[in-house]
Amino acid sequence: MSTAIATKPSHSPALRAEGVCKAFVSGKQRTQVLDRLDLSIEPAELTLISGPSGCGKSTLLAVLSGLQKVDAGRVLALGSELGQLDPRALERFRLQHTGFVFQGFNLFPALSALEQVELPLSHMGLSREEARRRARESLEEVGLAHRMRLRPAELSGGEKQRVAIARALAKQPELLFADEPTSALDAANGQIIIDILHRIATTHGTTVLCVSHDPRLVVHADRVLAMEDGRILSDRRNHASVADSHGTSS
Amino acid sequence: MVALARKTLIYEWRRFLPAILAVGFAGLLQLLQLALVLGIFGSTSLYITGSSGDVWVGYPGTQSVGSGRTIDPNVEARILMDPAVLRVEPYIWVDGDWRGAKETGGVSVFVSGIDPSADGLMFSKALAPALRTRLAEPDAIVVDRSAVEQLGISIGQTATINGHSVHVVGISSGLRALGGVNVLCSLDTARRLDTDVEDSGPTYLVAKIRHPNQANVVAQRLRGDQSFGPYTAWSAREFARLSVLYWLFDTGAGAGVLFLAGIVFLVGAVITSQTLIAAVNGSVREYATLNALGVGVAALRRVVLEQAFWVGALGLLGASVLGVALLMLARSQDVPVVLNVPAALACIILVMGLAAVSGLAAMRSLRRADPATLLR
Repeated sequence: MSTAIATKPSHSPALRAEGVCKAFVSGKQRTQVLDRLDLSIEPAELTLISGPSGCGKSTLLAVLSGLQKVDAGRVLALGSELGQLDPRALERFRLQHTGFVFQGFNLFPALSALEQVELPLSHMGLSREEARRRARESLEEVGLAHRMRLRPAELSGGEKQRVAIARALAKQPELLFADEPTSALDAANGQIIIDILHRIATTHGTTVLCVSHDPRLVVHADRVLAMEDGRILSDRRNHASVADSHGTSS
Repeated sequence: MVALARKTLIYEWRRFLPAILAVGFAGLLQLLQLALVLGIFGSTSLYITGSSGDVWVGYPGTQSVGSGRTIDPNVEARILMDPAVLRVEPYIWVDGDWRGAKETGGVSVFVSGIDPSADGLMFSKALAPALRTRLAEPDAIVVDRSAVEQLGISIGQTATINGHSVHVVGISSGLRALGGVNVLCSLDTARRLDTDVEDSGPTYLVAKIRHPNQANVVAQRLRGDQSFGPYTAWSAREFARLSVLYWLFDTGAGAGVLFLAGIVFLVGAVITSQTLIAAVNGSVREYATLNALGVGVAALRRVVLEQAFWVGALGLLGASVLGVALLMLARSQDVPVVLNVPAALACIILVMGLAAVSGLAAMRSLRRADPATLLR
């Protein structure tokens, strides 16, 4: 994974969408969710896509992360055109390069926090020891060093989301996608989560793309894209928040 | 590798319990059914398997031991002429009507007239030597323990068979018959009990040969000659098989076994697959998340199949423990149950096949684990 970063020129975007269209058909009703959308996401930043529900931001995330195919246009992730990959190659791409954090934490009830994080790692071909080591590191990084042995039922909502982040982070992905990561959490826990996501972008050089309608997040993002009706309405950089967030997280 | 399948099975055992029980009971039902059928229908060849004769000679076209006809007594000399034959012993089968000391009504009995000498071939494996010698006494009979109540008699008492008086000199065990009661006596007694004036010779001739593994060859050789009237020959193994198959198919039990096996499989598979499908559906978001993280669908399918395997293995374990206990109970109650290696293997294959089919059915619901659905 580190080699992938090295070969990639630092100035090129990690993710690029070119003329992307996506529509959903239900019955005779056809809804154009994304309409000729162009977008570049820079590496080592926390980019927030915000907008009202139904504006197409989750669909944009699905398309940029390769979970859904586009109807027209193309998506380039780390230089690969996702539309050209068959489903197995897409799975491989996701295994090697991407992490996901979802609104629901989606943890297996039977597994401890450590095992949740280890599980995808063991499918990456890592040795048991290496997987265990990385899982510990990631859980320590999200502040759960003392809760590793607990199962989801014994963890709070915020802690569960931190386990989910550690699960994504332990893969050492270049791309980290987060879909409404704070909407199921209270203010304090939401704050912790967004700080962690921001820190991952700055310290690991990870491209973090977060979709949320949570207004509290706006001030913490490096870049905020406002979406409505399948189009980007505004795109602004939030330089103050970088220093701000560094201050709170250190 | 994190043992997701096993850990989930243990942690959420309540969810998987119905599947384990369904598999277990399917296995148990199948096991007991097979053991009973083998036991009951195995008893129809007891006359052959319980004796040490290698070649049987009887009337042509005989379909089971119990439906023989008499053959010419001079056939014995012809059989003895074969160089492979060491000894020949007559065996007389008489269908009798039993009238006991107590009020039992008429009971249908199968009278087996055998050579009571100590080295007799008939029932050499099923009848204790002490009981056998007691049969030399005129009109002495031995009945099976399982039929004592049915016949309403005990040792020393007298009864009548086909109007002739007989007295019980011993009680044997393991000689339960199907469709009647086995009564053992000497050849002379049997001749007296046979009321059919047309019967002159023995029902069968049982031969001991020099090399028992050549029974088929010898039987075939003896078959050709018709000089002493109609008769034919079988190896003991062949004749036993003939008798069991006749009963299996004549009574429709064979079709019944297969039919019930199909039903058991179907019901077990429906319950098990539904349980496994529910388990997959309960974790579908977690599976989808793993897939989003790049864990392949094939790996997720393996998790489901592994769960099915463990459900099958646990069900099998339960069925084995209960099955052995029930078979022992049955044995102690003289219920004829027999379990051999092929039958046990058939049960294992049925149970694991059931689990595999259910696992495959559950695997299909993994298709709902599409990570794109998590982004809603």
